Amino acid sequence: MAQRQVLSLRTAVSTSAGLASAAINFLACVEIAEYAGGPSVWIALLVSGGLIVFSASNFAELSGLYPSAAAIRVWTRRGLNDSLSLIISLVYALTVVFVIAADAFVLAQAFHAAVPAIPGWVWITALLLLVLWANLRGIRMAGRIQDINAILLLITLSVIAAVILWKGPLPPVRQFFHLGHGIFQSIALGVFIYVGFEWVTPLAEEFSDVRAIPRGMYMALGLIAIAFGLFSEALTVIFPRPGELGSTLIPQLIAGQKALGLLGFWWMLFITATTAMTTFNGGLFTASRFVYALAREKVLPKKFSRLNAHWVPSYALVAIVVLSLILALIIFATGQYAVLINAGAGVEGLVYALSALLVIRLRKKEPSRARPFRAVGVPWVTAVIGVVFLLLGTAALFTSSSAVPWAFLFIAALSLLVTLYVYILLPRIKGKAKVKRLEMTSEETTE
Amino acid sequence: MTMLPILEDFARACNSNARLRQMNRDWSRTIVIRTTDKGESYWLRSENGSIRSGEGPVPDVDLQVEGGEEIIRAVFSGEMSPTEPYNAGDLLVKGRQDDLMRLDIITLLIWGE
Repeated sequence: MAQRQVLSLRTAVSTSAGLASAAINFLACVEIAEYAGGPSVWIALLVSGGLIVFSASNFAELSGLYPSAAAIRVWTRRGLNDSLSLIISLVYALTVVFVIAADAFVLAQAFHAAVPAIPGWVWITALLLLVLWANLRGIRMAGRIQDINAILLLITLSVIAAVILWKGPLPPVRQFFHLGHGIFQSIALGVFIYVGFEWVTPLAEEFSDVRAIPRGMYMALGLIAIAFGLFSEALTVIFPRPGELGSTLIPQLIAGQKALGLLGFWWMLFITATTAMTTFNGGLFTASRFVYALAREKVLPKKFSRLNAHWVPSYALVAIVVLSLILALIIFATGQYAVLINAGAGVEGLVYALSALLVIRLRKKEPSRARPFRAVGVPWVTAVIGVVFLLLGTAALFTSSSAVPWAFLFIAALSLLVTLYVYILLPRIKGKAKVKRLEMTSEETTE
Repeated sequence: MTMLPILEDFARACNSNARLRQMNRDWSRTIVIRTTDKGESYWLRSENGSIRSGEGPVPDVDLQVEGGEEIIRAVFSGEMSPTEPYNAGDLLVKGRQDDLMRLDIITLLIWGE
């Protein structure tokens, strides 16, 4: 049976790399380099990337087993149970809000550096409202533009970093192998650079060749490691003392200027804007459709399934943008952007641990179901990598420059609220809906 | 019992809904519906805002929907929204997400929430 409109391997690579490459990654590189102690940042990124390769093979197996846009919702429901699946999916979907808020913050800092007369919070508000307006009207960035942007970002980062490293002066060789006291946190936060590579799996239904997803993910991971690894190294050349690294909120603009002068500054500003816009575009679309699907499933208020004249789930979209805006403004006011990076790295680390558990459980629960791709090292290597991610995720959540682990508290509070909703509020909502349905049926029967 | 009458009713419901006809006027798609337990194959064809149904294999498929007969029957007769079995992994789809979303919107407009 011929099937039309299928996606290619190139799209799998660019989607995976593009979704992982958020503008907040520029600031994450600074934090990772700081904890690594400088030029040895490449070790942290290599180790976290190596571990993520195993996680990618888990996602590839799960995606082949149940190719679905509902991805993690389906896998956790099959591998665990409905309530746990709902809690995990909701918390996981909220990481999209973190990334959108973080990118709005980074973009605002970059625009403010270029046009200092306009305060950052005005940029944040204006940009998010602009994106909301475009999305409400059903205007989306074409997939092709998204593909080009992802590749352009990776090439730009590599070229700019190569120029900086070539100009030098390079640090002594031993510093490239000197492990700072925070190397474990550095590896844990290194996960953040790759966060989102697996968000290509919800597109599994659109690929005719099931091998495109694992291949695309592996290639994207390699490209991300090279581009962001070089960029992080370049940052340690610009800021030779690790203590200086955290002093800037626009490392990408400084790197651009250092490499190519004013042209580099403006080019990096352009790249920051397109990268953030890609994040907004992909993030808002995915998250709003996820909220819509949950509302259709009757686990979120039915208002979220309402569609506007452009067939866009407007309530879901507005809710996500408002949440992102509030979070971005809080981050802008407090300057605590690292909380979002640590929280994002933490949640993703835990999700990667979960992917290992799901692969093992589903191999036992559904052994005869077709698996076009089989994860390597199941069960023992998978279990060990799962435990490592559990530790890395926990370490990322507890990483903090102050005495209070804000990322942990933030995620713990969020998880608690979601759990209370699923176990206490949701049964009541469902109960009421059932009664209403029965009343309607009995009225129809009487008539 | 064949599922064709259910799909014919579904197509009739779509064609008698003015908002749906307007929405689907530029949505030309062939949707294949396959029951995994019985191995039966049906199709829906949307063209110029109108939907037709039929039985058997067709070429150039845009969207393929697969599931157990009971689930397919429930989805296309309005007893269940497609999202419920889809999120449970009981309804599998091959095709573009926009088309899948469109199919869900069609059921929403016919049978409501």
